[in-house]
Amino acid sequence: QSSISVSGTVTDAQNGVPVPGASVVVKGQEGKGTSTDFDGKFTLEIDANAILVFSYIGYKTQEVNVNNQKTINIILETDIESLGEVIVIGYGVQRKELTTGSNLQINGDALEKQSTTNALQAMQGQAAGVQITSTSGQPGESLNVVIRGLGSTYSNAPLYIVDGVQTSDISYLNNSDIENISVLKDAASAAIYGSQAANGVILVTTKKGKKGKAQITFDQYFGIQTLAKKVDLLDAVEYMTIMNESRINSGQSRIYSEEQIASAGSGTDWMDQMFQDAITKNYTLGVTGGSENSSYSSSLSYLNQEGIVGGKDNSYYERYNFRFNSEHKLYNGRVTFGENLSYAWINNNGIGVGNQYNNALRSAFQVNPLFPMYDENGEFFNSTGYSETWLQGVSNPYAQMVYSNQNEYDTQKLVGNVYFEFELLKDLRFRTSLGIDYYATQGHTFTPVYELSVYSFSNQRKVTQNMGKGKSLIWDNLLTYKFNLNEDHHFETMVGTSSYKYDGHSMYGENVELIFDDLSHAWLSNASNTDGALITLTGGPDVIVKRMSYFGRLNYNYKGKYLLNATFRADGTSQFSENNRWGYFPSVSAGWVVTKENFMDSSSNWLNYFKLRASYGQVGNQNVEPFQYLARVRSQFTNYTFGETEGVLTSGVYPYNISNPDLKWEVAEEIDLGFDANLFDYKLNINFDWYRKEQKDWLIEAPILATAGAEAPIINGGSVINTGVELALTFNNRVNENFSYNVGFNGAYNKNKVGSIPTEDGIIHGLTGQLWDNSPEFYRAENGNPLGYFWGYETTGVFQTDDEVNNYVSGSGDLIQPDAEPGDLIYVDQDGNGVIDENDKTKIGDPNPDFTYGFSIGANYKAFDFSLQANGIAGNQLVQSYRNQTGSNQNWTTEILDRWHGTGSSNTIPKVTTDNKNFNEFSDIYIKDGDFLRISTVTLGFDIAKAAKINNFFADQMRLYFSVLNLYTFTHYNGMDPEVGFGVSDDTYNFSSGVDLGYYPRPRTYMIGMNIKF
Amino acid sequence: CSNDFLNTEPVTDLTDESFYQIPEHAYTALVGCYDGMQIVTGASGRTFYTASEVMSDDCFGGLGHSDPYDYQAVDEFDVRVAPAYQNLYNDTWIKYYQAIYRCNVLLQKIDQIDWTGQENTRNRYVGEARFIRAYLYFEMVRLWENIPLLTEPSTDNIPQADPDEVYTVIAQDLLYASENIPGETYSSTPGGRATRWAAKSLLARVYLYYTGYYGQSDLVGLVSRSGALAHLEDVIALSGHGLVSEFANLWPAASGNDYAGESNEEIVFSIKYTYTSDYNGNTDGNHWLVLFGMREFMYYPYGNGWGITVNPKLYDLYNANDSRQMASVIGIEEEEIPFDNLEGQREYTGYYNKKYTPMSDYDEDGNLVSVTQIVATGDFQIEQFQDYTVLRYADVLLMAAELGSANAQSYFDQVRQRAYGNNFTQLSVSQENIMAERHLEFALEGIRYWDLLRQGIDTAAGEIAESATVLNGGIEETKTISASNVQTTKGLSQIPSTQITLSGGVLQQNTGW
Repeated sequence: QSSISVSGTVTDAQNGVPVPGASVVVKGQEGKGTSTDFDGKFTLEIDANAILVFSYIGYKTQEVNVNNQKTINIILETDIESLGEVIVIGYGVQRKELTTGSNLQINGDALEKQSTTNALQAMQGQAAGVQITSTSGQPGESLNVVIRGLGSTYSNAPLYIVDGVQTSDISYLNNSDIENISVLKDAASAAIYGSQAANGVILVTTKKGKKGKAQITFDQYFGIQTLAKKVDLLDAVEYMTIMNESRINSGQSRIYSEEQIASAGSGTDWMDQMFQDAITKNYTLGVTGGSENSSYSSSLSYLNQEGIVGGKDNSYYERYNFRFNSEHKLYNGRVTFGENLSYAWINNNGIGVGNQYNNALRSAFQVNPLFPMYDENGEFFNSTGYSETWLQGVSNPYAQMVYSNQNEYDTQKLVGNVYFEFELLKDLRFRTSLGIDYYATQGHTFTPVYELSVYSFSNQRKVTQNMGKGKSLIWDNLLTYKFNLNEDHHFETMVGTSSYKYDGHSMYGENVELIFDDLSHAWLSNASNTDGALITLTGGPDVIVKRMSYFGRLNYNYKGKYLLNATFRADGTSQFSENNRWGYFPSVSAGWVVTKENFMDSSSNWLNYFKLRASYGQVGNQNVEPFQYLARVRSQFTNYTFGETEGVLTSGVYPYNISNPDLKWEVAEEIDLGFDANLFDYKLNINFDWYRKEQKDWLIEAPILATAGAEAPIINGGSVINTGVELALTFNNRVNENFSYNVGFNGAYNKNKVGSIPTEDGIIHGLTGQLWDNSPEFYRAENGNPLGYFWGYETTGVFQTDDEVNNYVSGSGDLIQPDAEPGDLIYVDQDGNGVIDENDKTKIGDPNPDFTYGFSIGANYKAFDFSLQANGIAGNQLVQSYRNQTGSNQNWTTEILDRWHGTGSSNTIPKVTTDNKNFNEFSDIYIKDGDFLRISTVTLGFDIAKAAKINNFFADQMRLYFSVLNLYTFTHYNGMDPEVGFGVSDDTYNFSSGVDLGYYPRPRTYMIGMNIKF
Repeated sequence: CSNDFLNTEPVTDLTDESFYQIPEHAYTALVGCYDGMQIVTGASGRTFYTASEVMSDDCFGGLGHSDPYDYQAVDEFDVRVAPAYQNLYNDTWIKYYQAIYRCNVLLQKIDQIDWTGQENTRNRYVGEARFIRAYLYFEMVRLWENIPLLTEPSTDNIPQADPDEVYTVIAQDLLYASENIPGETYSSTPGGRATRWAAKSLLARVYLYYTGYYGQSDLVGLVSRSGALAHLEDVIALSGHGLVSEFANLWPAASGNDYAGESNEEIVFSIKYTYTSDYNGNTDGNHWLVLFGMREFMYYPYGNGWGITVNPKLYDLYNANDSRQMASVIGIEEEEIPFDNLEGQREYTGYYNKKYTPMSDYDEDGNLVSVTQIVATGDFQIEQFQDYTVLRYADVLLMAAELGSANAQSYFDQVRQRAYGNNFTQLSVSQENIMAERHLEFALEGIRYWDLLRQGIDTAAGEIAESATVLNGGIEETKTISASNVQTTKGLSQIPSTQITLSGGVLQQNTGW
């Protein structure tokens, strides 16, 4: 019999991608065969009449008669009967078809394609029920992740676990290092993480080596970032006109003459001064491979993103990543040893993006267009000594940003673990792992001597320097046992322990009289001042946090048809007093694979798989300052000055807080019902969930009378119920060898309602003075309302005439707004008592979206690929406040051009006056709808290696692509970016959101990139 | 074993179990009491001093043309002017009870320390802590009259006490302090610490206010008229205090280089402030001072501020020969100050407070800057450092005269001689003349309003009632304060509605608010 060389490609039936590692053997000669390479290709010398068997985990095995064919291309069908797709769950993995909780997994490739600096940003719109919002568009700023609605008044961040190691956020990771991300949404899935899982869990697995040919990858991109949408502020002529009008409306004389207005020109456009184009770039080199007994995966990457506000001198984020993961089998596989190590070095510098006093952009909104950028010498304009109203006391916002923003910070982070796994008996495994999350950070800042106005100056060269480091150690031990009873009863059991300890230290110093005049020399050693009153020096250890946990899980299924999963976790923590230290978190979930029933056979031609799920679980949240159970005596900031000499302090102490030894966890309880379905040869995939999640026993500040005399204790009280539905659809179709496409859509509806706040008025009040100086409370948590809803006056338009004012009377005939004039806002007298006061304030907006959704489209045609990703939210409101209403000379956005200025001129925006009387109450004129749909990524790629069709082309892949990030945003919102992740917060509460005080917008980025695989 | 593993303890805070063990602990806790008093009295916003001046006939609420009307609500005794302000004093109320808590905890725990051989030290610390507590309660009971009274820590929902109970605690505390703080001359005690003389003088002020406002003949049965006078005569005879020779030298803005300083012989008690406040948590400054500066306008030696204005009637009250006129009030026209921020100022009158005003000076480059820039890092809002003089020796003299001292005419003359210098002509001492003199002498020192109230609500209402022309944003308007509002409220201030809500109605709002 003649021997021939047969070659071919093995691809996946669903998406047409090559299947690497598939086994190709000659039937009857099990020793003779090979496996496919990374492109699913194989070559084999065999008998011309042999039968080849193609198999791979999760696919139906196929046999092919060679029959002298030299090329055999195989399309493998997914075999849901065998081991289907495996997804990562807490402390392990599970076959997706057997899961009973609500969780989802996103492939690392899908994240890498987004070319974002942060995996969370790439996840936007890809996960139903997971709302991800930028806190600022500045490079390196964190993202808010809210899973199934706001649940807590302090922290709503999920728990992040990277390769089994708990960490506070995952922005340090490079997208290309991520194998996959799992989101555990319901309490039943998260309960294995117990006291920290109330806000859901995000599990990240970094890339592991695989058995097979070694592969080197190189990825690179370069992008230009620009401002996507500018806010129009009044130009000089418009500004002068409005200022004149406000004075005339206030009974004063105009301030600018016709001649002045005519010669004013457009003035300074502060938006143009603040923004500039900026660069973003990334390089990643990766290598992966493995043999029978060892596998490895390693990468090195560099990323640099500059900020579009002020450019790279004022904000940038630069990151070096190094990762090394490997695994080795010893003693014939009885012992496995491995480690996952990721290291990041981050340099960054940023401008103020916080509240109204620490926000560089807000200052630019406020400064009027008559104010010049430079003086006649080309220096930043200094308004000291000028008495013109448009100059006096005003500071150049750009110069302010430059002067107050001379800083450099760097952070190093090492996250990883080392583990051993022992196979004690068949299917009885013991795994022990030691994980670490280590960080070190340091930075220094420089303030030069400058003067921009009487309010903005520095008369000394000042330096600050800070350092800190800390580590968490986590030691996990797991024992797992898998067994079957009577073939049909399948059990997987796991028991484990986890212990955790965090400790850290920090130091901070500041001093003046720096002997050099630049940032690079701004270090404490270079400051010559010795006057103690001008020196700050602090330092000390962080509070040590410890936890001890015991947990167990039982998975059972009967013929893969009836599924049951139960978990239990006991957590002990140093956070609470000895009596309330331990918490217990149970969960149970069940599933029914309906398509396994005989009566479903008739529909099996279109319904491939259908599973009903139900789950219940309890999880906790312990985010609270430590030692609330102790009465502390504090010395910090406590002193008095005896004697004649200023600045000489005598230290004192004072009893600080009322203790609460009864403090315990916040608890979340959740029911989830859902189904997963595959239709039409697995082309259409549907996931649906309904949930009701109640988070209660919040950690809130007790409503304590002032007479108690100390800081109020933190107590348990208050709750919120989130109810919602989630739907995810994906459709994958491979039309032919050359063309395949996929479409995905996901959406979630959520309703958020607060209850049982244990105060007299059932309210946790929001902070005041946040929207402008001395502005009133505008958001709150209140029983019966959404968390953080907007509270203020409802208006029904603008009084057009005196008659309207005089006709606005109460039931008893009294004028409701006796002091109003035409052009003023009409406030609704909610309680009908004829007086407008606090009792008439009501819910005028809700920052929590009703809907969050996303969709994606992808297509491959020959060597071309195309993808589009979009995400959006609907049904939420934003508060927009750019102006400090205690001043009368600040600029406005062009929205004010639609103000009332005569009968019939406007019924939405009131008249302008110098005392801003229509604007210094918080009313619905500050509320805007926040709905938007953002086309977040569009990519077109072309693979030269694929197009070349040359055997032995030097690379397996050589893809060039062009992407636009943040291509377009559909919205009615008139700010620069409707995705406003900013909210007001303090040390106790952090539940406000959707507040635009001058929000750093996400840039639009045009990028070109390249992926090469060897 | 896992429970042991889970034990941690704070390393940067002490706990009340480990503290109050040795005499040094008592001293640092006492400093904490002074700090508590510094925080509540020196805060920005509506504090005792600010309220006392705005409510008096000497000042208008003023501030910015587009500011809310909260200060007008205080000035006009009418919350309808700014209906959103149901919590005019919540911060102040909270800080008072925090300061009192510090004193009460110290007084409760001080005897768990072994004081053998140091009993005098213990008694002095107790005396100082009780002085501070009395001082705080005296401010509170005058502002609100109806306040919960705590002499030891409690988290209970405590109803408002009868004012007599509060005055009993005040009198007992001050009597204890006047007996147990050593009777050495004032100069042997560092400035700022409460002395025996401060306790005695304050006791007399409490006597006069209580007996005047409530029409009683003695102070809750504890201090008689002659007893109060005897305390003052002690101060005059034994304390070492005296008058500074020039009235203007008492005040930084009026004296220039001749400033008598913050520990001068005339200061019987003052609250110390310094420039070490920051935004990290240090509150050591006089944060209300900036409220009294000219509205966003600086002119040497005056700094910029937020513009609480002075009633022109005060300026006009002074005789041309009275050195106190120029030392007390800034006259914009009289001093030829080119003030040009009429547009930003509400209730402009042409006059500002000179005794307590932020200041400016020239820096090395010759630019006029806030004086905080010269001596500290420069934040004029939080670094103001002028002490608040609670009680001057001149007050001791005038109170002694009022209480019928045998030397009444001499005491009265001493004060007036300093004011008029070579132009002094004697005026016979009488209750009426003393009260008139007190207005001239203590204007803008947080005293006038209470001197009015202790003459009876009707008298006070008549003096405070006003209908004056002021400039709001440069436009003439009429400022009205109605006497009936003073009468309805009895001159008392608003109880914070937050506290009333928290108490579930146990606390009652004062009439008229």
